[in-house]
Amino acid sequence: MTQPNKSRSGKIRSNAEDMVRFTMANFVDKEIIPVATEYDNKGEFPQHLFKKLGKMGVFGIRYPKKAGGSGGNTTLYCIAMQELARGLLSLAATTAMQCLMATNGLYLYGTKKMHEEFLYPALKGDKMGAFQLTEPNAGSDLSAVRTKAEKTRDGYVINGMKTWSTSGPKADFHTVLCQTDPSIGLRGLAFFLVPASTPGFSYSKPFDLLGTRTSAISEIYFKDCHVPVEYRLGKEGRGLGVLLKILSEIRIMTASLALGLHRAAMDDAIRYCKEREQFGKPISKYQLIQAKIANMAVNLEAGQLMVDKVTHMIDQGKECLNLASMAKYFTVESTCSACDEAMRIFGGYAYSMEYSVQRYYRDNRFLLSGGGTHEVLQTTIAREILSR
Amino acid sequence: MNIIVLVKQVPNTTNIKLDPKTGNLIREGLESIMNPDDLHALEAAVKIKDKTGGKVMAVSMGPPQAVDVLTQAMGMGADKAFLLSDRAFSGADTWATSYTLSKGIEKIKDYDLIICGHQAIDGDTAQIGPQVADWLDIAQATYVNDIESVDENEIVVKRRLEHGFERLACKMPVLLTVISELNEPRYPHMEQLISACEQKAPIKVWNAADIGVKTIEVGLEGSNTHVIKTFTPNFKRQNELLEGSNKEVVSDLIDRLKKSDTTIAYRL
Repeated sequence: MTQPNKSRSGKIRSNAEDMVRFTMANFVDKEIIPVATEYDNKGEFPQHLFKKLGKMGVFGIRYPKKAGGSGGNTTLYCIAMQELARGLLSLAATTAMQCLMATNGLYLYGTKKMHEEFLYPALKGDKMGAFQLTEPNAGSDLSAVRTKAEKTRDGYVINGMKTWSTSGPKADFHTVLCQTDPSIGLRGLAFFLVPASTPGFSYSKPFDLLGTRTSAISEIYFKDCHVPVEYRLGKEGRGLGVLLKILSEIRIMTASLALGLHRAAMDDAIRYCKEREQFGKPISKYQLIQAKIANMAVNLEAGQLMVDKVTHMIDQGKECLNLASMAKYFTVESTCSACDEAMRIFGGYAYSMEYSVQRYYRDNRFLLSGGGTHEVLQTTIAREILSR
Repeated sequence: MNIIVLVKQVPNTTNIKLDPKTGNLIREGLESIMNPDDLHALEAAVKIKDKTGGKVMAVSMGPPQAVDVLTQAMGMGADKAFLLSDRAFSGADTWATSYTLSKGIEKIKDYDLIICGHQAIDGDTAQIGPQVADWLDIAQATYVNDIESVDENEIVVKRRLEHGFERLACKMPVLLTVISELNEPRYPHMEQLISACEQKAPIKVWNAADIGVKTIEVGLEGSNTHVIKTFTPNFKRQNELLEGSNKEVVSDLIDRLKKSDTTIAYRL
């Protein structure tokens, strides 16, 4: 497993990063990989695996023990996501959301009662949370958010809709970005907790998706949804700030999902090219195949170094949004390329739904837009560098 | 009830490759894991603790990196862990290993039940459990595949035998060796796993002096058996296709078998 740490006092202890990776890899190999293609083909969310992850304390991995978490950090969270994505990207993405975006506002700004009702059950996997930003005309441009939260005497009334809502039809509660004062744009944004049981909440039929087909993604609607004032997560007008607090983490989590998918595609390609024989020898003996494997391996290693650097910076409280954007951009582009190369190595067989490589190829498109489109990221990366 | 579980770090393979020249295990590329049967022993111990209260203590003998299986054990619910680690322990056969483990257990003192996996996948001897029970002079029940009831004084277990089962009621303290059909081991919980990696985690490392053994009693020096050579058996098969009519082929086959030293058993 690991080279243990030895402290100055002579105590021998295991390395937490290696132990988390080993544990998650073991879970993925035994529980997820054998059923991943079956669930993807059926388009069914593996609820029992989600429950098991809750039982293992994975959803609380980045929260302190006193908040019902497992006492880990961003690095351990991202390692767990890398391993999960190696098994099934859609399950990994739902888990990633449960660990971070769906619960972070609740953790930071929720009352004790809200923690007992929503946060603790979510960290145990007894409740599912979701995170809702995107609207038909708002995504990268959050100033265009139109879902409105109107203040009443005892709370807020929410009206509007969100689209591309991951777990929209399944989640028990939603962390929703709303506009409290359209006249002031970004300064009017705020997050709200909206339980799915709130009268006026509804959702559409799940979308028929190209990839991550076990995820239930839909539109969700708020029609006069009344929530109490304590369900506002953070101050009015601080919605963007709440989001910015975890934006580096969202980006590096997305990069971590990419690393896991990249590893899955590479592992399958390596196994296949050693087995498949043409002209009397395995295709792994041909230089053009070797070039593809080399490119995959180099990009994976480079991406891993970028991700490790950023997660450790986040854990040290260092500002690293631009590096996180770079890591997300690089790893996802590399993964798209790795999945494409893996398809080519599999040749005609890649065109069959029997092999997982076609799933990797479809699933990688999810990462292109999730966590920031690359067209926007390239602009923000360059803008930050040029402004120095 | 206080339960000790013996765990071992082993290479992750059931198809161990040996260097044909040196006879040594080829460890390159082999991941280390907790011996699979030991996972079932731990699961049994944690389940009993959940029912009766008390503590589960994991004990292992091995090099410093064997701390990883103890961390995993704590992730699964063990409360404390003890690593018996000393250069003097290396090269031990089952006699010396079981002696070392029993001395460690004597130092822990406070136990009612010891549970071990039936055997380790890197040695397949199934000797450690019974030998530890013998050193400690306590009762033992091997091949346990069910624990029917347990209280502070007695445990009732089912043993798998070659042609059936045996139910045993054992007075405490007792040592059990368990087989995989006993239970489904849980995955480590992240909180317990991460806590077990912290410096303040209750993991003790004991050397030969700590457990009060002389170096001539342990490791290679204390071993009664020495491995002279290990090798992979040569299982190469020779295939030959016999041709002709059915009658000719059968007759040819019988002639060939008669000429060879093959013993043919048949039932009328």
